[in-house]
Amino acid sequence: MNFGIVVFPGTNCDRDCYYVIRDILNQPVKFIWHRENDLKGIDCVVLPGGFSYGDYLRAGAIARFSPIMSSVREFADKGGLVIGICNGFQILTEAGLLPGALGRNRSLRFICRYVNLIIERNDTPFTSEFEKGEIVRMPIAHNEGNYYIDDLSKVEKQVVLRYYGENPNGALDNIAGIVNERGNVFGLMPHPERCSEKILGSEDGLRIFKSIVRSL
Amino acid sequence: MEKVKLLYEGKAKRVYSTPEEDKFIIEFKDTATAFDGLKKADISGKGEANCIISSKIFELLTIKGIKNHYIKRLSEREMLVKSVKIFPIEVIIRNRVAGSMAKRLGLDVGKELERPVLEFCYKSDELHDPMINEDHILALNLATEEELKTIKEMSLETNKILIEFFRKCHLELVDMKFEFGKDSQGNIYLADEISPDTCRLWELGTTTSWDKDRFRKDLGGVEEAYREVKERVINTPIDSKARIFIRLKPSILDAQGSVILNALKSLGFNEVIEVRVGKLLELKMDRKVDEPERIERMCRELLANPVMEDYEWEWIE
Repeated sequence: MNFGIVVFPGTNCDRDCYYVIRDILNQPVKFIWHRENDLKGIDCVVLPGGFSYGDYLRAGAIARFSPIMSSVREFADKGGLVIGICNGFQILTEAGLLPGALGRNRSLRFICRYVNLIIERNDTPFTSEFEKGEIVRMPIAHNEGNYYIDDLSKVEKQVVLRYYGENPNGALDNIAGIVNERGNVFGLMPHPERCSEKILGSEDGLRIFKSIVRSL
Repeated sequence: MEKVKLLYEGKAKRVYSTPEEDKFIIEFKDTATAFDGLKKADISGKGEANCIISSKIFELLTIKGIKNHYIKRLSEREMLVKSVKIFPIEVIIRNRVAGSMAKRLGLDVGKELERPVLEFCYKSDELHDPMINEDHILALNLATEEELKTIKEMSLETNKILIEFFRKCHLELVDMKFEFGKDSQGNIYLADEISPDTCRLWELGTTTSWDKDRFRKDLGGVEEAYREVKERVINTPIDSKARIFIRLKPSILDAQGSVILNALKSLGFNEVIEVRVGKLLELKMDRKVDEPERIERMCRELLANPVMEDYEWEWIE
């Protein structure tokens, strides 16, 4: 399984993703600078968290114009796996690869802490290592995670992760992660790469990467 | 928007109704007439040139705050306009002596006037559009005193704006003709067209005509003149600014707004019941095209996220 991690100016979770994929899962992985457009040989594109272009205008709004994003769109259209984490999720919604939008947290604060999540679907390439209805723990770290869509019924079947118990950011229907209709593009606000080793308090995140590896 | 019924056919234009009662479509023809219809010919490309020139000038006037009937250009020779009732008055505004003024008063063509001169004519083909004065207009109820005042002010202001604009096109605005109309609410709009058919335009610093006088006086190069003015008008930038407001859709809780509302209330401003916070963007443009839809596209494609935000925009001076 060849992973490609896209790096935008301001991305800061790229190294963590790289470490998890290469050192924990022993999978081939490389960084792809956002000015590039070649995804040859890549099986899964990771849009990691952090920031992109200062998140001017709106989080992810400018990153979607990076050259790599046209390639990511083509890649996704052909069925390639794309996972967007945090800022990566914001970019995917801005690019129209995932439905909805991510607005400012209801508390108006940056939130960085562990949350409980419920796995709503385990029939995706990203969540096959989980049980449906299982409660897992992952950290979130964001200012704009307040998921919104005008018509919830449009995405009901695409919800993969929901906040469980407390809703940290005001997200509609507790949505924390969704896939596209086809199921090959996944966006989530929690950071699985930050909870992929026991020493960090949870290994639930690793199971997402494991699911991806297993899917191939 | 499609044409429904031909309402009127004039010498240079056709006016059609549309499925919407408050909108007309004007189609520009290639036909030209002069001397009360005694001289008539088709000038290839004239309709297109006049439509494009008029559209850009109406756009400019909108930006400068002159209410006019223009909504948008639909094709090379069609524009969508507000349906207005035209006053039976032609307004002529002169900056230099030319045409009938030179003849009537025995003045040298090209003499610069101390101040712009306004003239009025009664629109009537049978009577050959006779010149009238303000008393005629009021006595014959062609317009009310208030309306006449507005028409005069709008004419002078438009003249000022267009002298400056045509100068940038290296053209001297010698004189021009306006028509005005009013909508069902009584608002007055500049109507008709603004083109080499209705303006006398000279190459700046000379008396070389770039307008319908070439046709009237058989000066030759008629088609070229319309094309040349069109090119110059298209290529002359209009400095314009648009102000864009972006705010969260009403269905979305505006957390910032709620915090600000509470702060206002704690200061005793209890009359405030809701605060919505938004973004304001000002775009300065060097527009060479007359398409407000481009700003709409900017909003939809980048500036606002249509999933969660609404936008509005306006031209600013």
